[in-house]
Amino acid sequence: MIYCYDGSENGFLTAFLLAYSDTDAVLVSGQFQLPFGQEAVTVKTDIERAKNVRNRLLSFDGQCMNELKTLLRCANPMRDNATFDYFKLIATKKRPVRTMLAEDVVILAKDLIWKVKHELEQFRGFVRFMESASGALYAPISPDHDICDLLACHFRARFPQFPFVIHDVKRKKSAVYDGKNIFEAPLENAEVVLSADETAWQELWKNYFEHVNIVPRERLKQQRAYLPVRYRKFMPEFH
Amino acid sequence: MISVEKLTILTNGAKYDVSCSSSGSSRKNQGGIGNGAAAGCCHSFTPDGRCVSLLKILLSNDCIFHCKYCLNQASADVPRATATPDEICELVIDFYKRNYIEGLFLSSAVYISPNHTMEQLLLTVKKLRTEYGFHGYVHVKGIPGADETLVRETARYADRMSYNIELPSEQSLKLLAPQKSKESLLVPMKRLTHEASVFRAEKRKGHFLPAGQTTQMIVGASPEKDGQILRLSQSLYRANGLKRVYYSSYMPVVHHSLLPDTPGGALREHRLYQADWLLRFYGFNVEEIVPEGENLATEYDPKCAWALRNMHLFPIEVNRAPLEMLLRVPGIGAKSAYKITEARRYTSLTFEHLKKMRVVLKRARHFITASGKFFGTENENVVRGLLAAGETAMSATQLSLFNDLQIAQRETQFLLHSNAETARSALIGEL
Repeated sequence: MIYCYDGSENGFLTAFLLAYSDTDAVLVSGQFQLPFGQEAVTVKTDIERAKNVRNRLLSFDGQCMNELKTLLRCANPMRDNATFDYFKLIATKKRPVRTMLAEDVVILAKDLIWKVKHELEQFRGFVRFMESASGALYAPISPDHDICDLLACHFRARFPQFPFVIHDVKRKKSAVYDGKNIFEAPLENAEVVLSADETAWQELWKNYFEHVNIVPRERLKQQRAYLPVRYRKFMPEFH
Repeated sequence: MISVEKLTILTNGAKYDVSCSSSGSSRKNQGGIGNGAAAGCCHSFTPDGRCVSLLKILLSNDCIFHCKYCLNQASADVPRATATPDEICELVIDFYKRNYIEGLFLSSAVYISPNHTMEQLLLTVKKLRTEYGFHGYVHVKGIPGADETLVRETARYADRMSYNIELPSEQSLKLLAPQKSKESLLVPMKRLTHEASVFRAEKRKGHFLPAGQTTQMIVGASPEKDGQILRLSQSLYRANGLKRVYYSSYMPVVHHSLLPDTPGGALREHRLYQADWLLRFYGFNVEEIVPEGENLATEYDPKCAWALRNMHLFPIEVNRAPLEMLLRVPGIGAKSAYKITEARRYTSLTFEHLKKMRVVLKRARHFITASGKFFGTENENVVRGLLAAGETAMSATQLSLFNDLQIAQRETQFLLHSNAETARSALIGEL
């Protein structure tokens, strides 16, 4: 049976409960193609049931909900089933399983978690802010995974006095920090009036970037490995 | 705003310094701008494959010293510039705000006098911390010969300081950097380590080099062997408490009769770093890695070379071997060793498991057994050959007949006693 849920945490936990005893359960969220001869049910998110499942899972493994949150941010199509299998293993073993590193299920779940966390780590460096005329900062990004609000937390700790918007162009959403709170908002297109000095600072940065490079030691392959081309879209030094 | 020309000159002067990490300090934001990321953060990567983490810049390149290897030495004909502390601070704040950089790496040529230079460096970081309220990462170079009170005060504001040893022996220093001496570099380094430990022991308020000290050595400009360099590194790590020693393969940016005309080579630098990691994270002693008067083997990595010399200790059983021994298997690093020690608590590991867990078995298979099975080669000489071949196969490239430039670069490798002309004709098959 195919269980289609809405991609939220509570949705997953409800679907998990329904699919748990089904031996050939497949979980999906978002769009999918129904395979021939398969039946699909749409799981309606039930907060009460989700709460029970959450408490039960937490009694086996106190940290597993953090992992669930991270896994649900992953954009990999294997995510839903990998998460389901991982939590099923926790529920059958009735204990934390994250150190069972020879289990396929654990290896896959850990890989997906690593992908999200690694991208978050990279984007802490790769985000480029522009200063708008009002003094607020604006950064467009297009990460593989849904990490926009996590990035906002990082930058709030860095400069709490500057309001900023981090705009996930791919998912058409944004994380906004207004000087006090962070909230998420859908955002299709943003029109930003740049401050007077912005272009000059960008030029200065480009100049710095060009001259800090040691030309005879060119290693483009290494550069691409550390900074994939798809991430360079909004970085002024590559334009 | 600092002018483009000035920034260019000061960047060009600083770019050969290899230390770039922004790790080790978790300074909190206290009402200003910025904080430290304990694990460090890379913001961009230049085409030479290095990361841009800190704004690497000189305060001035107007030097009074005559270090023969240096681009900015007093007699060099290069454009000179000196930035004001405010120009630097402004640049840091505006770059940091846009998330271009993780902090500042401030170095300087020795201008007017060591004390004056150190004073200006101190002024800049003090201004940055107090007036501009910057709490991000700051790395400041120590100026050899500067007064200790200035250095101590700077250490209160910086996250990390470094005195560059540059040349790994006293004779080479005398020859190539006549105004620097072993004492002018090692004494302040020791003093700072001591003061930092006192500061921590007394639990005083504020900071004193939370990210410690580092240093840098140029490899290939002077005749020292790897064994000697690594012995110096080990003593710096163990006796002076340094966090990191950087090795920079020599690049002939300046031509002088006392300096070699060929670059030191990236492979030697790479091998030194591998050996350095063995010293710091794998529990090796330098005596096990390389004898004093010798260089590291180029065909194998240092751990492989050690394992081949100690074949009587292998193979080891992955399900029982202690962590220290797992770490000594070529191809198994800290991550794989951790994975193995965790996973084997639940199941008896086989080679299938290891492969699934992505433990690199190319080298390791000759040195381990998994659940009693061995998939390597027992003959030591064959192992030797296989491992060396594995290394070269990675770096081998197809020769081009038509690209003269490539041949010109490569011909030096084939040159023994012939000249460039014969080497080229040999390569393109004219001989």
